[in-house]
Amino acid sequence: MTEILRLHAEQQYAHELHELQQLDDRPRPANWRLSPWAVSTYLLGGTLDNGFQIMPKYIGNGRLIEIAIATLTTDRALLLLGIPGTGKTWLAEHLAAAISGDSTLLVQGTAGTSEEAMRYGWNYASLLANGPTAAALVPSPIMLAMQTGKLARVEELTRVPADVQDSLITVLSEKLLPIPELNQEVQASKGFNVIATANDRDRGVNELSSALRRRFNTVVLPLPATAEEEVQIVQQRVAELGQALALPAELPALVEIQRVVTIFRELRSGMTQDKKAKIKSPTSTLSTAEAISVLNSGLALAAHFGDGTVRAHDLAASLIGAVIKDPVQDKVIWQEYLETVVREREAWQDLYRACRDLG
Amino acid sequence: MSSIENNDLYIFGIRHHGPGSARGLVQALTALQPDIVLVEGPPDADEIIPLLVEEEMEPPVALLVYRPDKPRRASYIPLALFSPEWQALQYAVRHAIPARFMDLPHARRFAELDELAEQEGGETGEEGEKTAVSRSQQALQTLAQASGYGDYESWWNQVIEQRQGHDEDVFAAIFRVMSVLRNEADMLAMGTTPTKSDLFEARREAYMRRTIRQARKEGFQRIAVVCGAWHAPALAEEVSAKADKALLKGMKRVKVAATWVPWTYGRLATRSGYGAGIQAPGWYHHLWEMGENGRSPTDIGIYWLTRVAELLREQDLDASAAHVIEAVRLAEALAAIRQHPIPGLQEFNEATQTIMCFGDTEPMALIRDRLIVGERMGSVPPSTPMVPLQRDLYRLQKRLRLYPDPDISTLSLDLRKPLHLERSQLLHRLQLLGIPWGQSEPIKDSQGTYLELWRMQWKPEFAVLLIEASMWGTTVLEAASQLASERASKATKLSELTELLNLVLLADLPEVIVPLMARLGQVSAMSSDVAHMMEALPPLVRVLRYGNVRQINREVVQQVVDGLVTRICIGLPSSCASLNDEAAAEMYTHLVRTHGLLKTMQQEQHLTAWYGVLAQMADNLAMHGLLTGRACRLLLDDRQWSREEVMQRLRLMLSVTQTAVVAHPHHGATGSPPALLQAALWIEGFLKDSGLILIHDDELWHILDGWVLLLQEENFMAQLPLLRRTFATFSEAERQQLTQRARQGDRRAAAAAEQPHFDQQRADMILPLMAQLFGVNFVGSGE
Repeated sequence: MTEILRLHAEQQYAHELHELQQLDDRPRPANWRLSPWAVSTYLLGGTLDNGFQIMPKYIGNGRLIEIAIATLTTDRALLLLGIPGTGKTWLAEHLAAAISGDSTLLVQGTAGTSEEAMRYGWNYASLLANGPTAAALVPSPIMLAMQTGKLARVEELTRVPADVQDSLITVLSEKLLPIPELNQEVQASKGFNVIATANDRDRGVNELSSALRRRFNTVVLPLPATAEEEVQIVQQRVAELGQALALPAELPALVEIQRVVTIFRELRSGMTQDKKAKIKSPTSTLSTAEAISVLNSGLALAAHFGDGTVRAHDLAASLIGAVIKDPVQDKVIWQEYLETVVREREAWQDLYRACRDLG
Repeated sequence: MSSIENNDLYIFGIRHHGPGSARGLVQALTALQPDIVLVEGPPDADEIIPLLVEEEMEPPVALLVYRPDKPRRASYIPLALFSPEWQALQYAVRHAIPARFMDLPHARRFAELDELAEQEGGETGEEGEKTAVSRSQQALQTLAQASGYGDYESWWNQVIEQRQGHDEDVFAAIFRVMSVLRNEADMLAMGTTPTKSDLFEARREAYMRRTIRQARKEGFQRIAVVCGAWHAPALAEEVSAKADKALLKGMKRVKVAATWVPWTYGRLATRSGYGAGIQAPGWYHHLWEMGENGRSPTDIGIYWLTRVAELLREQDLDASAAHVIEAVRLAEALAAIRQHPIPGLQEFNEATQTIMCFGDTEPMALIRDRLIVGERMGSVPPSTPMVPLQRDLYRLQKRLRLYPDPDISTLSLDLRKPLHLERSQLLHRLQLLGIPWGQSEPIKDSQGTYLELWRMQWKPEFAVLLIEASMWGTTVLEAASQLASERASKATKLSELTELLNLVLLADLPEVIVPLMARLGQVSAMSSDVAHMMEALPPLVRVLRYGNVRQINREVVQQVVDGLVTRICIGLPSSCASLNDEAAAEMYTHLVRTHGLLKTMQQEQHLTAWYGVLAQMADNLAMHGLLTGRACRLLLDDRQWSREEVMQRLRLMLSVTQTAVVAHPHHGATGSPPALLQAALWIEGFLKDSGLILIHDDELWHILDGWVLLLQEENFMAQLPLLRRTFATFSEAERQQLTQRARQGDRRAAAAAEQPHFDQQRADMILPLMAQLFGVNFVGSGE
């Protein structure tokens, strides 16, 4: 087998894409490997007419996937928005793999992303020796995508400095990348488009200019829809991480995981699970990833300072830490939750006392 | 046309409130030129159909059929511009041909329901109708799923309502589909015993056939029948008059009356009560208008999204023409992916959210309220028969001897008298309904809460307001309760709900308490304004203590109170931080009032938490002095803190002053150092409205006296107004005593230590009389 740690989506699921391509007889937009319907099947899973099973890549609202695909069939770019851990990058990668058969044309947005990464750079040795020539030009992934009619991806667009972001405007509206040094331009081939992802909790890091924002269709990806789904994700990840860290403690019991997930979901949704009472939501994200880390630190505490079993007091500290991000507002919200919800649940008394003891 | 026509009979199966059905129907009627139109609806209302020609008649309106002797037994049948029934009636009235309703009359339905109610000893709604609807829905659901749609609503919308072709064949197609579905359903039902609702449905259809037969007998030759699609095949069946007669035999009748009342799109959209459960009246209206103007399918989307953009722009949200173009394109792409011929409302909504709202859901709620549901309200002509609500009010006016008078008069009520109490409740209920017949006036120097003063004036427009209010119910009590529940469910602010609760208590609407409490619980959970929560407490505590509410309601109220008190206790300290003088004064009032309420409630758990909060506040030196001072005082009064503990805090406050003075021995006269101001405010909070404690508590007096003596002259001058403000709240007598005491200085203490002149014998003489006054047994002190 391969020595590579992680394969690209189009490599890992090559057989699925192949089968779909064989059976797909619907019209395909220019330069698309699959028709929009086949792309949607690839992402949401299903059984093909010949009995071939397609594994679901995205579990959740299928309508969102349809909106994303429909966006890419128009010439508008797609912006996937959501808090960390909602599968934005995963979805973008698989969209690119299914539509263009290539998920590698990727620009990772950081505070240090430069205009060269968005447009093109130069091979300076060649530039100094021969002056600006086409041979000295180093194309960016976006430029390559324009030339080949593929999808380019920009990760964490809001982390990119505003002036660099705006270099995308011409690319998205005119489908054009001028190269003034060569007095040339690159005109995008059909099939070119951009999928960007952004974290909507980090608003204001580098808010998109309204000119740029207007070029994107925005799809907000939600957190897991049901508690069962979320418990399953958390359980799986905690087990994996526990193995990786080789902690000498028993894995937390399912009830403990359910309790943490319930607290997270209730505070996030602003409503108790039985939908009977409303509660306030804190400023913290409370994503699934954070629920995982709460259980992990509980595991570590139990292993090194406890009796090897994860108990309420092992979880309390990191739980409070995850909820209270704003020391004033969140504290009030947490106390209200503790006094009006946790306290009322008989089976939760250990957790109530453990949290109260910590203030 | 094929099987739907039968020589002289033309049956048009429609969906109630379907704009596409309505348009198709108008086209079909125009082509057919019928000489009579029969519409599914209550024949009890036949007489008021001609009112449709009146100019003031504007949909949405509802047919209201009710029992004059029992107005709560009532049924509303709403009609909108886009309802096929409305269009069919309009066609008939405009073309001067007769129009009749043909459904089972409410005279019989109500009689049936009364019988049922008697048998079961309780109120029953029109259950029969509901189960029947769900049965036809079930059949349609199967069909929709077979065609690849999630639910039959969207299937019907796509296939029938949004179709743009001008083909009259659609009714023939509907007819055939329904025939097959009904056959299937009958096959399935074979062998099972027919339920009550099956019988009810059969009777309705029998009556419809009877009406058709009657029209034939009268010699009409082109009879147009407009009914729900499900019934269409049954009306074409050849059933003998005898069989129908047998079905309808033995049904009792009661006297009913019918009238038109104005309706709103909002009411059309509610699922509960008499709402038609149409989720998107505004969208249907748009579809109807587009069809009327002969717009193409693409235009529907373009005009709709333009209206959405206009609305967003009104709210200062970016929505340019380019946004509209992109949204139209996305909606079409989405429809293509979903293999729908043209985009539906769902696609437009998704496109709007993705492109115009940048994924945000909040503007979507606005779009729903303003466009998808819409705010349109209908009206009815003045010649419309009186509504039951009017009758109910006249009955009440007679019983309470309170007659409408266009001249202004005043009415004073003593709520201890039952008649006066009922009058007050009626006026409050009318106020809730937006009919200000009486305006409540404040009473000067009133001693009790049982007196009310009203300024009464009846205005002619109240009659119209009554008609509008009649959409909420057929009696004043019912209408006020319904409207109050509706307002409760819409309220988003705690203060709104508190105000509403006060009104509901005054108007005595016990049914509203439960929904109101549910909403109050929700809103208070989301509120972070402790002051508002404290304002909400008094009426709630009043319900708990005096309210004539049932036991079950009391528990609901107690739950809300528990939640509120818990939240107040948690939030109070932080919401008292960094207040200016004005805000602190307001908070002071809340603090004192809440304290009083919690003490009257006497619930251990709340008091414990409350005292904890007060202690926390009293020890917080950074808080506004007025509040810390009062917190300290409340703890002293309730013996939570001993005098020593309080003294310690007082000294602490004053020691701050001393250090301030020591630290600034040559402080200029530019103003008080903040610590001094804080101390003065503390004293104000501590002593406000209570000179007595100062007169009789030596230790307190000394500490205060010492503090004043310590002040440098300029600081003293600066403090004077503040001290004066505190002392001004004391009564005249208290101030005099204080002055006296200040003059005497320390001598008074010495004098007080001397034995006072006291004559035991003379004092004993009044004891028997006192005992008599208090009604206790006097044993005497002699033994």
